[in-house]
Amino acid sequence: MDEILIDDPLDRQLREAVPYIDDDGFTARVVASLPAPGRRKVSLRSVILVSIALLGSALAYVLSDSGRVVSENVARLATLPPLWLLIGAFAAGALAVTGGLLAALSRTRDPFSLS
Amino acid sequence: MELTDADLIARVLVDEDQHAFGELVRRYQSAVRGLLRQLTRTDLALADDLSQETFVRAYKHIRSFRGEARFSTWLYRIAYNCFREDARRRKELVGVDESQWQSEIDPHSVDAGLRHDLMHALNLLPLHERSAVLLCCQQGLSHDEASRVLEIPLGTVKTNVLRGREKLKRTLAAWGSN
Repeated sequence: MDEILIDDPLDRQLREAVPYIDDDGFTARVVASLPAPGRRKVSLRSVILVSIALLGSALAYVLSDSGRVVSENVARLATLPPLWLLIGAFAAGALAVTGGLLAALSRTRDPFSLS
Repeated sequence: MELTDADLIARVLVDEDQHAFGELVRRYQSAVRGLLRQLTRTDLALADDLSQETFVRAYKHIRSFRGEARFSTWLYRIAYNCFREDARRRKELVGVDESQWQSEIDPHSVDAGLRHDLMHALNLLPLHERSAVLLCCQQGLSHDEASRVLEIPLGTVKTNVLRGREKLKRTLAAWGSN
């Protein structure tokens, strides 16, 4: 069976059987019961993620002897052949994209989503 | 020029504009309240409570509306969820069973004023058939949209619509034949 025919008498009767319902203060009641607009809540998850990132950065700075190890390794990277640099950049990009995709796919679907 | 639903939704998202949301409520209150009145078997007070809950939930979760379905379809889904949750709480999710339905359509057991009353016949259908018929035949949703609203397979929606319509016709014919 495909979609119901629009001219079916039963469907027409069904549509006509439901009159327009006057608002009669309904909208005002709904608007009055909406939560007050205000600052958006900062989620605990984002606070934890930012804190961990900051802590990790501080730890890396301290452990790398104020960044000396980092600058030395960046200088060493510059001496690598271009092909290796290209492969390294590609691998890092692929890793980032994979991580992003996994994160996007693992997001909880909203119960009202119709997609 | 009248703002589109998308314009109003954008205002709600960007500015938390409750007047814009109020306009959306004004546009869809009749459809949502009408659907819930049918689902609750014309319990007007309950239907209006559930309608209010539907719009409040829609406002709170409007960020999850992706615009891939019509706004009305999204609202119907929330409304149906509200109705189902309430019915579960009240433990009265099912409609009339087959034997009850057979006795109800007996012309001698029906009030003369209710004969030919399509809405009364509709109220005799079990919930799964009633909701499918309401959404597809009355509210004009496609089978695909109804399957998303009701969260049941497309084939089941088609079957429920077909059975519901057949029962409606048989009921009306039985009442009309007396």
